[in-house]
Amino acid sequence: MKSTENTWIKVLSDAEVEKVNEQSLKILETTGIMVDHEEGLKTLEKAGAKVDHQTKRARISRELVAQCLKTVPDHFTLAARDPKQDCPLVRGGRPYSRNGGGADYTLDLETGEFRPMMLADLRGYYRLMDGLDGIDFIAPVFGHDMPVLGRDILMLREAFAGTSKNIHLRTFSGKTLKIMFEMATIVAGGKGELKKRPLVSLLEAPVSPLKFLDVSVDALFLCGEYGIPLDVCVMPIAGGTGPVTMAGNVQLLNTEFLGGVVISQLAHPGAPLQYAPRPMAMDMRTGFSLAGAIELGMMAVAGAQMAHFYNVPVSLHGPWTDSMLHDGQSTFERTYMTFMAAYAGANVLVGAGMMQQSLVTSYEQLVIDSEVNKTVIRALQGFEADDGHLAMDAIARVGPGGNFVQDPHTLRYLRGERYKPSPLILRDSRDAWTAGGGKTFEQRAKEIARTILKEHEPLPLPEDVSQALDKLVSDAMKSLKK
Amino acid sequence: MSNLLEQMQKDLYEGDADAVKAGVQKALAEGMSAEDILNKSLLAGMDRVGCDFKAGDLYIPEVLMCANAMHAGLGVLRPLLAESRGVSQSLLGKVVIGTVQGDMHDIGKNLVSMMLEGAGFEVMNLGIDVAPEKFIEAVRTQRPKIVGMAAMLTTTMPVMRTVIEALQEAGLRDKVKVLIGGAPVTSAFAKQIGADAYAPDAATAVDVARGLAA
Repeated sequence: MKSTENTWIKVLSDAEVEKVNEQSLKILETTGIMVDHEEGLKTLEKAGAKVDHQTKRARISRELVAQCLKTVPDHFTLAARDPKQDCPLVRGGRPYSRNGGGADYTLDLETGEFRPMMLADLRGYYRLMDGLDGIDFIAPVFGHDMPVLGRDILMLREAFAGTSKNIHLRTFSGKTLKIMFEMATIVAGGKGELKKRPLVSLLEAPVSPLKFLDVSVDALFLCGEYGIPLDVCVMPIAGGTGPVTMAGNVQLLNTEFLGGVVISQLAHPGAPLQYAPRPMAMDMRTGFSLAGAIELGMMAVAGAQMAHFYNVPVSLHGPWTDSMLHDGQSTFERTYMTFMAAYAGANVLVGAGMMQQSLVTSYEQLVIDSEVNKTVIRALQGFEADDGHLAMDAIARVGPGGNFVQDPHTLRYLRGERYKPSPLILRDSRDAWTAGGGKTFEQRAKEIARTILKEHEPLPLPEDVSQALDKLVSDAMKSLKK
Repeated sequence: MSNLLEQMQKDLYEGDADAVKAGVQKALAEGMSAEDILNKSLLAGMDRVGCDFKAGDLYIPEVLMCANAMHAGLGVLRPLLAESRGVSQSLLGKVVIGTVQGDMHDIGKNLVSMMLEGAGFEVMNLGIDVAPEKFIEAVRTQRPKIVGMAAMLTTTMPVMRTVIEALQEAGLRDKVKVLIGGAPVTSAFAKQIGADAYAPDAATAVDVARGLAA
C-alpha cells in the first residue's frame, strides 16, 4: 500500500501546529507537571528539571524536552503470538484497529438485555475478536464476577488463551503490571524475546490537567524496562478537565504527551511510545463526557497533526458513539469518527464494539466495526492510475455507446478493484432479501457473531507455556491477597 | 470421468475457448458421443460456474467468458447434436429483449442478454426505446419462447402493460412468455400487468427464463 500521507486531513495550519508545540514547551517550563511518584521526581530532577518535592511539581526546560523527543522511536511493531497478526505502526502506513477497552456493560447477544459484563462474556469477546479479520489487536474487557484484586492478571490469562493477536493491557497498579509483563515474558520465551517481539502493549493515561499518578509513572518506567509499546493516552475533557475550547484542549493534551515523553525517555531512552490524543468534550447540559460528538473527531485530527509533527505513531478514537443501541445514530457517529481518524493518518483506530460513551461493548457492534475498519482501509488504499488502470485502450476499443462487460480490460482488472464486504452488508435484490428472511443489519451482525463464536478456534498456547502461566498466576493471586 | 472431460471442464472454467474447442474435437476423435461431451463436460462445467457465481466467487464478466468457451465447444457439437436430437439454433430457445419506449437505459438489459446467451438462449436484442409495435413484430416474425422487457423509470414502466395488451390484441399473448425487469420493477407489478415472470437481476433472469422455456 502506498503512503497515506498525501491524503491526510488537517484542522490546524502548519503555523498553528508550531505554535501549539512552542506553547506546550512554555507550559512545561512555567506551569510544569505534577508527578506523584518519588522516583519519577528524582529522575526528572537529576536530568535538570526544577522539582518542588512539596507540591510534587516538576518544571521542565525546552532543552530537556528536545533531548527526550530525539530518542522516541518513529515506528515500532505491536507483535502478536501469531506473527501474521503483527501490527507495524509506520508513518503513512495502514491503520490497525482494536476494540475499546474496559467496558463495564454488555448487550446480551441472545436477549439484547443491557447487563453487567461477566467472565463468560470476556471469553466470548476474545474468541469473537480473534476471529474477526477487521479487529487487529485486542484490548481488555473485565467481568464483574472476577475478583477485584488481580482482575487485570486474570484478564490477561484469559486473553492469552483466547487470542493470538497483540493484547493491549490496562493495569490497576505497578505491582500487577510487572506480573503481567512476567506473564508476557513466559509466552514470548524470555525477556530478550519479548523486547524484540512485544506480544502485549499498554495504555496509560495521565490525569488531566497535567497530573501523572503513581501508576502512570510506574507504567512509563516498566514499559521502558520491558520494551513494551505504551500509548500515552491524553484525554482532557473540554469544559471539565480541559479548556472548553477545542484549541485549548489540544494545547493541554499536547503538553501532557510531552510530559510523558520526558519521563519515559529519561528512564529508558528509545522506549516505544504512541501519541494517543483522546480529546473529550463535556456535555454542558448533563455533564456527560461525550463520545460521538463531531468536535472529538476535529480535535483528534489536530492531535494527529501534532503526532506527525513529532514523528511518532498515533492512535485515535475511531468507531465511537453516544448511542445505546446498534442503531442509525451509532452507525452514523462511528462511521464519521473512523473516517476522520483514518484520514488524519492514525496508525491505530480505537473503539470497536463500544457504545454509550464507552460504557458498553456488544458482540454485534464488534462485527459491524470490523466491517467499518476494513472499509476504511480499502478507502485508504486508494486506486492505481497508471496507463493500464486509466483504460485508454479499452475506451478506444469499446467506443461510443458500447459496454465494457466483456472487454478484455474488464477481465484483466476485475479482481482487486472492488472490496468485497462480509455478509453483513446487503447488496441483493429486495426479492432475494425477502426470501432470506428480510434480516436487518443488526440481525445479520448477530448471526455472524454467533457463527464465529461457534466455529472459531483460537491458536492454542503450547501446553508447557500454559502450565507455566497458570503457576505464575496462581502464585501472584496468593501474593496479592497477603 | 475421463481425464479429457475433466480437462475440458477446467478449460471451460478458465474461459479458454480455444482449449475447449480443441478438447471437443479430440473427444470426438476418441469416439465419445456428442451427447456425452455436452452433458459431461460443457454443461457440467457450466453448472460449476453457476454454483461459484451464486456463491460470490465468480463475477459476471468471468461467467460470460466461461460461456464463450462453452459456445466455442458447442459450435463443434451443434451439427452432430442436430442430427441426434434436432437441436438447431440454440439449446434453450429464442428470447426477444428490449428496453421499452421512452427509456434509454441499456446496460442492465444488455447484461441480461449476455447472461441469457451464455446460458444457451438465442437472444434477439431490440435495443432501447423500443416501441410496442416493434415488440409485436419481433414476436410475430421471430417466434421466441420469451419476450423480455426492461424499464428503469417509473414513468416508462406502464409501457410494459401496453406491450402485453398489444400482444393480446395481436393474438400472440399465449404464444410467448413475458419476463420483465429493471430497478423500479417489482414482482407485484409483474403480477398486476399480467406478465409471466419478473427477475430482479441478470443471474436470476437466467434461472427464471430457463423455467419459462422448459
